[in-house]
Amino acid sequence: MRRALVLGVMVFGVALLLWAGWHNLRERKLAMQKARENQVVLIPEKQGEASAESDELAPKMRGKKAPQFALTSLDGKKVSLADYKGRPVLVNFWATWCGPCKVEMPWFEQFRKQYGSQGFEILGLADDADAGKDAISKVAMKSGVTYPILLTDGKVQDAYGGLEVLPMSFYVDRNGVIVEQTAGLGSKDQIEANIKKTIASGAVAQAGGL
Amino acid sequence: MRAIAAGTILLATLASAQQGTLPAPAAKVKQYVTYSAEEQNLAAGKKSVIALQFRVADGYHVNSHTPKSELLIPTNLTLQPDAGVKAAAAEYPAGTAYSFSFEPGEKLDVYTGTFTVKVPVVAQAGQHTIAGTLHYQACDNAACYPPKSLPVQLAVTAK
Repeated sequence: MRRALVLGVMVFGVALLLWAGWHNLRERKLAMQKARENQVVLIPEKQGEASAESDELAPKMRGKKAPQFALTSLDGKKVSLADYKGRPVLVNFWATWCGPCKVEMPWFEQFRKQYGSQGFEILGLADDADAGKDAISKVAMKSGVTYPILLTDGKVQDAYGGLEVLPMSFYVDRNGVIVEQTAGLGSKDQIEANIKKTIASGAVAQAGGL
Repeated sequence: MRAIAAGTILLATLASAQQGTLPAPAAKVKQYVTYSAEEQNLAAGKKSVIALQFRVADGYHVNSHTPKSELLIPTNLTLQPDAGVKAAAAEYPAGTAYSFSFEPGEKLDVYTGTFTVKVPVVAQAGQHTIAGTLHYQACDNAACYPPKSLPVQLAVTAK
């Protein structure tokens, strides 16, 4: 039994040696393999595009306290989330190269006018500060936006769970809690429903809690 | 018993030695474009063209090399200089027209499916490995994804 085992291991060892020799002889093949290995490691799509996608779009921040930030606005003012304490706020991340983002910005502007009397405000956080103030300002103006546009600092994105998708919106109620998080362009009706929910959420907490 | 132990150690050493030649796993980055590595066999010292084939994941598009707006981020390939391979500027395919359903009036110039970037080169005889990066920015029909860098490696044999 022992002899058979030893023999087995030896045969396997020799086979492995042969294989190793063959393997090393083909350096070019290995270089190709390397390139392909890279490819496999870097592209997780094949292992389940759907699950990776849903992870990315999962509203990780829902129910959490909105992370604080203090950023510079396009007109050079320091604006922090704390300035809007007690008010429902939509924190919307966008970028100049993001087509879907630019579609919803005029809707936001309209809803801001509509719900402003209830304290509702919107903060547009430009995710691509490297595009430059001028480009960001141009896009904001073209979209008809008058709500504050803030330049991100590279940290606020991480604080909000890392932004792998744009547009990304966080609906923050009067108590500073994120009641809804959305990724990608939704319908105008859905956005309005989220805004109403955010305004109502704070109001309920105020009436019940105080 | 000792023989078995020795054999096992030998095997383990061999196995790890083999593994050592494989690249360390890179940090997990979600990519929307994949690169199909293909060995390039060229005539040494002569003008040749290297073709790099990329594939955009189904349901996504990336801007072409020449998008229609300066705000959009073009697809761009950079290759690291290699002593044995002289490379000229990359040649990109024309994009195809695309519009978001919510913005039918705005025509974008994009790549979908597969696209090939060609690089004119003159390679010295021998085997070369060229490293490079494809920079791109992808969107699907309702969202966009931050710009990405896809590492590429090219195995070139010139005879």
